[in-house]
Amino acid sequence: MQTPVFPLSETERLTALNNTGLLDTGPEERFDRLTHLAQLCLGTEIVLISLVDSNRQWFKSKQGLDACETSRDISFCGHTILGDSIFEVADALLDSRFADNPLVVSAPFIRFYAGVPLVCNGENIGTLCFIDSKPRQFTDKERDIAYGFAKSIEQEIIDRLQEQAHEQLTASELMYRSVLEGTRVGTWQWNVQTGDIVLNERWAEIIGYTLAELEPISNETWAARIHPDDNIKSSTSLQEHFNDENPFYDFKCRMKHKDGHYVWIHDKGRVISKTSNGKPLMMYGTRADITKQKNNELDLLQSRDQFKTLVANIPGVTYRCNPDKKWTMLFMSDYIYSLSGYPASEFTDNYSRSYVNIIHPEDRALLDKIVQESLLNQTSWVFNYRIVHKNGSVKWVEERGSAEYDSAGNVQFLNGFIQDVSKQKKLQDQLLKLTQQLPGVVYQYQLWPDGRSAFPYASSGIEDIYGVKPEDVVTDASNAFSTIYPEDVPAVSQSIELSSQQLTIWEQEYRVYRNDKSIIWLSGRATPERMPDGSTLWHGYIHDITQTKEYYLQLEDLNLQLNVTQQSLDLASEQAKIGYWHASFEHGTFWWSPIIYQIFGFNAEDVVPSSSLFKNSVHPDDIDKVLKSEQQTRSTGIVNEVYRIIRPNGEVRWVHELGQLVNKELNPDKIMIGSVQDITERMTLQKIKDEFISTVSHELRTPLTSIYGALSLLQSGKIATLPAKAEKLVEVASSNCKQLSRLINDLLDIEKLAAGKMLFEMKRLNVVPLLQRAINDHQPFADLHKITLTLHVDKQIDELFVYVDEHRLLQILTNFLSNAVKFSPESGSVMLSATLTADEIEIAVQDQGTGIPEDFKSKIFGKFSQADASSSKVKGGTGLGLALCKNLIEAMNGSIDYSSEPGCGARFFVRLPLSV
Amino acid sequence: MQLDKILHVEDDESIRIIVEMALVDICGFTLLACDGGQEAISQVEGFTPDLILLDAMMPGMDGIQTLNEIRKKPNCLNIPVVFMTARIQDSEKQEYLAVGAVAVIEKPFDAMSLGDRLESIYQASLISQEIHNQE
Repeated sequence: MQTPVFPLSETERLTALNNTGLLDTGPEERFDRLTHLAQLCLGTEIVLISLVDSNRQWFKSKQGLDACETSRDISFCGHTILGDSIFEVADALLDSRFADNPLVVSAPFIRFYAGVPLVCNGENIGTLCFIDSKPRQFTDKERDIAYGFAKSIEQEIIDRLQEQAHEQLTASELMYRSVLEGTRVGTWQWNVQTGDIVLNERWAEIIGYTLAELEPISNETWAARIHPDDNIKSSTSLQEHFNDENPFYDFKCRMKHKDGHYVWIHDKGRVISKTSNGKPLMMYGTRADITKQKNNELDLLQSRDQFKTLVANIPGVTYRCNPDKKWTMLFMSDYIYSLSGYPASEFTDNYSRSYVNIIHPEDRALLDKIVQESLLNQTSWVFNYRIVHKNGSVKWVEERGSAEYDSAGNVQFLNGFIQDVSKQKKLQDQLLKLTQQLPGVVYQYQLWPDGRSAFPYASSGIEDIYGVKPEDVVTDASNAFSTIYPEDVPAVSQSIELSSQQLTIWEQEYRVYRNDKSIIWLSGRATPERMPDGSTLWHGYIHDITQTKEYYLQLEDLNLQLNVTQQSLDLASEQAKIGYWHASFEHGTFWWSPIIYQIFGFNAEDVVPSSSLFKNSVHPDDIDKVLKSEQQTRSTGIVNEVYRIIRPNGEVRWVHELGQLVNKELNPDKIMIGSVQDITERMTLQKIKDEFISTVSHELRTPLTSIYGALSLLQSGKIATLPAKAEKLVEVASSNCKQLSRLINDLLDIEKLAAGKMLFEMKRLNVVPLLQRAINDHQPFADLHKITLTLHVDKQIDELFVYVDEHRLLQILTNFLSNAVKFSPESGSVMLSATLTADEIEIAVQDQGTGIPEDFKSKIFGKFSQADASSSKVKGGTGLGLALCKNLIEAMNGSIDYSSEPGCGARFFVRLPLSV
Repeated sequence: MQLDKILHVEDDESIRIIVEMALVDICGFTLLACDGGQEAISQVEGFTPDLILLDAMMPGMDGIQTLNEIRKKPNCLNIPVVFMTARIQDSEKQEYLAVGAVAVIEKPFDAMSLGDRLESIYQASLISQEIHNQE
C-alpha cells in the first residue's frame, strides 16, 4: 500500500481548510443535496465531501457511508489533493498502491474511486469523491459532471463563508448598535471627499433636534452649530488625524443646542478608508453628550480653584498628613513656601523632604510628644515651635491640629493649620523685655462680683511693687493687697469699686509696706473692661513714686522758700525802689515787677510790658545810647546803662538799668533778668557834687597856682636871693603845695573815672620807651631819697605792643615808682621791670620796703588807704594813688595786683593784654 | 619869628603877678596884663600881641566870650590864643580847642617853664598857620 505524501504547501493548505470553518460541523442541506444529486447522476454507491485534515479525512457530507472520518494515511483523497485534476482508480485490487489498503480489503471494499480536488483560496482542501465496490471507469461526460459538482460545492463553501461572515457582521452590528443606543452615543459617518454625512437620531437628539428637523444633512449641519471658539481647534485636531499624527480624531467642543445654549460634546472617530491616492475617504465616529461631565469637571475645577485661592489667602499653612513618624504630607497649602522657603510640592508624599526635617531640632521631640498625647486623648493640639527656613533663619510658628478617626477609632489623618507667629513672638519677647525694663509692674487685675480678685498677668516688676512673684497672685490677689498701708486701704478699695462700677480709669496714689517694713509710695493707673462673666478686668501699670514724692515734698519746701525769697525781694524792691524784670529774647516776652511800673509812671492795669512801650518811654536824647546798649547786650549778655525816661505826665527821671542773660546752658529761651533803679535823686546829687568838685578844684587851684608859681619863682633864685633859712621854708611850702596839688588832681581823676567822664587816648605802643621815661622822670626824686632805680626789660618785650593811653599808663608807673621810692629804706634800690606772661605784658615795680601788713591787704586798692595812717604825713601820699591806678588800668582792659611778704618789700604790677 | 608880645587876661591878681614875673622877669617877653575880658578887648588892637594867654573862668565875661569878641577885631583873627584853666574836665578842654584855642594850660602850672611852653606853642602855631595859608 502506498501512503499519500504531503503536498508542498501543506501548512497553507491546512490554514485554508481551517478558515472554511467546516471541520467537525454538522451535516448541511446545501452539501447533502449536492452529494445526493451527484450520487443519482453518476450512480456510484458512495459520494463524499472529504476534507483532508492533518492526519485524517473528515466527511462534511456523505452519501452511502456511515463513517464520518478515516485516517489520512489509508485515504484515497490524500492522493487526490496532490494533483489538480480528477484522480481515478478503476480497480483498487489491480492497483498496487491500493490493493492491500484496509478500505479495499475490508468494508467498504473499495474497487472504484474517483476524486475531484476541492479548491479554496488556491489550496486543495479536500475532495468530492465517488466510490463503488465494483470496478468502473468514468466517461468523459461523467467526469465533467463530477467537475461540475465539485465547482458547485466549492461555490457553496464560499457562499457558506460569506453567509457566516454576514451573519457575524449583522450580529456584531446589532450588538454595537444596541451598545451605542444603550450608551446614548450619537454616530456619524462622513465621506470626507463628497461631504455626505450620515447621522443617527441620537446625534440630533444631543443638540435637541430630531434627525428630520436637521434635514438636509450636510457639513453645514455640523459647522453651523459648533461654538466659534472651538471651530479652529476642531479643524486642527482633524488635520492632525488626517496627517496620521493622532490615531484618532478626539475632540471636545461645544455645540449650540436648539434652545440656544451650548452643550459639551465629545467626538471621537477615525478614517476607516482612504482613496487610491491616499486621501481620507470615509470617516466614522461617535459623539457623546458630556455637558454634565464637563460641568462637573468645571465645577470641580472651580471648587478646587476656590479652595486653592481660599487656602492661598490664609496667612498660614493648612495641611493633611499621614499619622506616621515623618508626618508624610498629603496636602500642604502654598503658604509653606513663604514660611519655609520650600514649595509645597517638595513636602507632598515626602517628595524631596519631610516636614519634620524643617522643624527646629530642639522642638521636634516636644511637638511629637504633644501630638501623641493629643491623639491618645482624642483632643486637638496647639503648640508653638520653631521651624528652620531654607535661608537658615528661624521662624516661630503656631500649629493647631487635630486628627481624623475612622469608625474604629483609628487615626486616619492629621489635619492642621500652621501659622507664622514670629512677629507676635518677637513682639511678645520685646514686650517682656520692655516690661522687665519698666520701673514698675504692668498687669491685668481681675475682680469678680463675689469679691475674688487676681492678677491674671503681672510683669516681673510686681516683686518690686508688692513683694510677690507673678505666679503667687495669678489666682488670688490677696497676697499683694496685704502689703497696702492700712490707712490707704479704704481709699484703694473705694477707687477700685468706683472704677469697676462706672468703668472709669482707675488712678490712685497709695503706700505699701516693703519687706523691710519701709514704706514706699505707689502710683497706679488702669483701664477697666467688663468681662462676659460679670467680672472686671483692668489693664494697668503701677510704679514706685517714692522718689518723685520726696522730690515733690522738697519742691513744696523750695516753693515755700521761693515764696519767702520772692516776698523779701518784693519788700526790698519796694523799699529800695528797684524794679526788676525779665524778658525772653527768644519769645519777645517781658515781665516787669510792680516797682518798674511805678518808676515809669504807668498803671500796671493799663499797659502791657513790651519793647516798644519801654523805648517810647526813653528820653529822645538817650534813645540812641539805649539802642546801642541793647545791641551790645545781644553779644555781651550784659546791660549796664544810665539813661533818662519821660513819664506819661512829662516828668523826666534818671534810671540805672542792670541786667544779664541767665546762664547760657540752662537758658534755651534766652531769658534775661535785670533791675531798674530810679536814680534821679542820685543824679541830682551827682550833678551837685560834680559842680561842687569842679568849683572847689577851680577855687582851690587858683590860689594854689599863685602859691605854686610864687614858690617856684622864689626857689629858682632868679627873682631874688633868699637867706638859707628862708630858702628852707620856701622848700617846705613848695613841697606841701605839690602835695596839695597832687591830692586835688587824684581826687578829680577818681571822680572823673567814677562819672565815666575820663577820656582815654588809646594807642598801640611799645612800652619800653615809656618805662625809660618813667625811670628818667623819677631819677631826681630817687636821688633825693638815695635810692637806685633800675630797669629790667625782657628781650622779647622790644617786639611787643599793648593798647593803652600812654599818659595814663605813665601816671600809674609814676604812682608805683614814687610809692616804691618813698617806702624803700635809704640806699635801697627799686626795680622797674617788664616781662612776658602768656599773652600779657607784666610791668612791675619791686621795692625793698617793709612790705604790706597782712591786715591791710584787703583794702590796699581802696580810697584813702595807707597802711600807717601817720605815714601819709611823712611820705607825702594822698592815699588815693593805688585806687586810681586800679581804676585806670581796668579802664584800659588791664589788671593790677601785688605780692608782698612783710619785711621783704612789695612788688606791684599791672598786666596788659598784648595788642596783635 | 620869636615870641615877644603876650597879652595876658586874668582876673586873679596873684596869678597875674606870677605870670608877669615868669614871662617878663625870667623870659624877657613883652607882657600886657588885663584883669578881665573887657579890658583885653579894648587893649588888644593897640597892643597887637603875638599871643594871648586867656583865663577861661572869669567873672562877667568868661574866656570863650572874650575870645569871640577879640576875633571880631580886625587883625586879631589869627592871633594864637592859649587858654588857662583850673577845670581839668576833658570835655571843657575840648570845648576850648573847638572855639579856636591853640592850647590849654592847666592850673596850677609850672611857672619856671611857662615861658618855654608858650614859646613852643607859638612856634607850632606859626607852622600850622603857614601850612593853612599855603593850602
